[in-house]
Amino acid sequence: MQRPAPAKFELLVRRDDAEDFELRQVASVVGYLNSRPRRVDPDSYEISELRSRLAVAPGFILKNKATDRFLLLSAQERFLWDQMDGATSLQEIATAYVLEYGEFDFEIIPSLLRKLQRAQLLTFEPRSRLRAALARNRGRVIVKALELALTSLERIRIASHNVQGFFQALYRFGGFLVFTPFAAIVCAVLALVGAAAALMLFRDVRDMLEGFGGHALRGILTVKLVFFASVALHQFVHGLACIHYRRRVREFGFTFLHGFVPTFYIDVTDIFMASRRARVVTAVTGALVHLVLGAVAFIVAARAPTGSFTQAFAAASGIIQWQALVVALYPFCFIEMDGYHVLVDVLGVPTLKHDAIAYAKRILTGAGRLREGREELLWIAYVVLSTLSVAGFIAFNVWIIVSATH
Amino acid sequence: MQASAETLAFLHDVRVFESFSDPDLIALTERLRPRELRRHQILFREGDPGDEMCIVRRGTVLISKAVTGKVEQVLVRVEPLDFFGEMSLFDGSPRSATAQAETEVELLILGRDSLQAMTDAAPRAAAAFFYAMVQVFMERLRRSTLQVAEATRWGLEATGLDVEAR
Repeated sequence: MQRPAPAKFELLVRRDDAEDFELRQVASVVGYLNSRPRRVDPDSYEISELRSRLAVAPGFILKNKATDRFLLLSAQERFLWDQMDGATSLQEIATAYVLEYGEFDFEIIPSLLRKLQRAQLLTFEPRSRLRAALARNRGRVIVKALELALTSLERIRIASHNVQGFFQALYRFGGFLVFTPFAAIVCAVLALVGAAAALMLFRDVRDMLEGFGGHALRGILTVKLVFFASVALHQFVHGLACIHYRRRVREFGFTFLHGFVPTFYIDVTDIFMASRRARVVTAVTGALVHLVLGAVAFIVAARAPTGSFTQAFAAASGIIQWQALVVALYPFCFIEMDGYHVLVDVLGVPTLKHDAIAYAKRILTGAGRLREGREELLWIAYVVLSTLSVAGFIAFNVWIIVSATH
Repeated sequence: MQASAETLAFLHDVRVFESFSDPDLIALTERLRPRELRRHQILFREGDPGDEMCIVRRGTVLISKAVTGKVEQVLVRVEPLDFFGEMSLFDGSPRSATAQAETEVELLILGRDSLQAMTDAAPRAAAAFFYAMVQVFMERLRRSTLQVAEATRWGLEATGLDVEAR
């Protein structure tokens, strides 16, 4: 019997003008890709490795302690099982699988989900703890208002799925220059000159920041707004890199991440089908936008009159841009930015952050013991370096604000 | 409204008036009120009072029901020769869904008073109208049942729930 086409809803989404609307077809597959399967509580299952003299690859036995049902999992299925933490969507799990195994089997995830559901090893819970807590306390007016505000902000999403042509044109009419040796040399020279300018400026940092004329906070907010525009440029360069490697840019847009973080985003997941080099270049080139803009800002600041607003504005922009460069490329900060993706790609451990945090939590709560394996060392290193880095980052920003205020 | 040959020919093709004789159709036409909607104009919203049904003469009308916030599910797209709003015509209940023009639209509107007048003046035509209307209701009920099944299928596919094997 022929399988029916995926079910679809036709939805009418109203805009601010009461009569204006947009029609959207939402296929069930969209919901499926965004679903976040969650394995049952760790106390409810046991997993152990099954070694065989005949089979080359190890297998695993997964037992549901409540129902006494057993499942035999392959190493690949075990990997997928480990991803099913209720926070990772099926789309992200599939991406992690490709990074781990370098290929994708389209049937493995649905088939594993079916097996796990039959063995009652999956639960269905709300996607975020914050949203779940809000839903529980919806009776309170403030909570309801907050939930409504978050939902409204989450709905703000200006995106286009039809951007491949635009990025191809952008690449053809000059974007390709970004991926030439000449651009790499210009970038390196600018970085050196920018660094020299920054060092020179820091000798007179107090005089320089006086250019904000006692309105440091207002000045920094303005700088942040300009920085926000540079984030869009960062995403554009990711898109150009994707085109450079002949892959597809699926979407470009603006949204509020988690309901309150305004951000531009680009979907270049198609780059996972290209080589590791392509993935690394795509990740790094976007971040280099901040290197170039920061260097230009420092050079401008160095040439501007000491104590002028232009100098303070350019120097603060330079600091923010180079901070963004570090945050984007530095992998140890608990945020999955470009540098983190490069690191996990090179190490071949796509779930590094998740595993490292879970391991540290087990150690700190006394639920687990320190062990001396390669993975455990990596997890500890990740958590320690990230904690120190975040503390350092916060201290540096506090120092800048204090310096600017006094 | 004047009973032009064009209007009569149109009404003859509307399912609930198929069995009407020409004199009945002419009488009906005089009781119908024409109305035009510009693109995207809302005719009525869910919950509004109403006692009229609308026959689409030109264009398409979207019938949608609120789901959450500013999102509504499109229940049906009403095209020429089809009609909507008949539930309020019969029981005077508030509108169960929102009707909004998807394109430029021309409607013919039949109010409850006109229906009553038609029933009094031409009981045979009215009986044919009600009989056809019952058939349409049954079809729409079947369609609603299919929509419920389709919504369930959407949920099962979106969650990947496997309920076949236990």
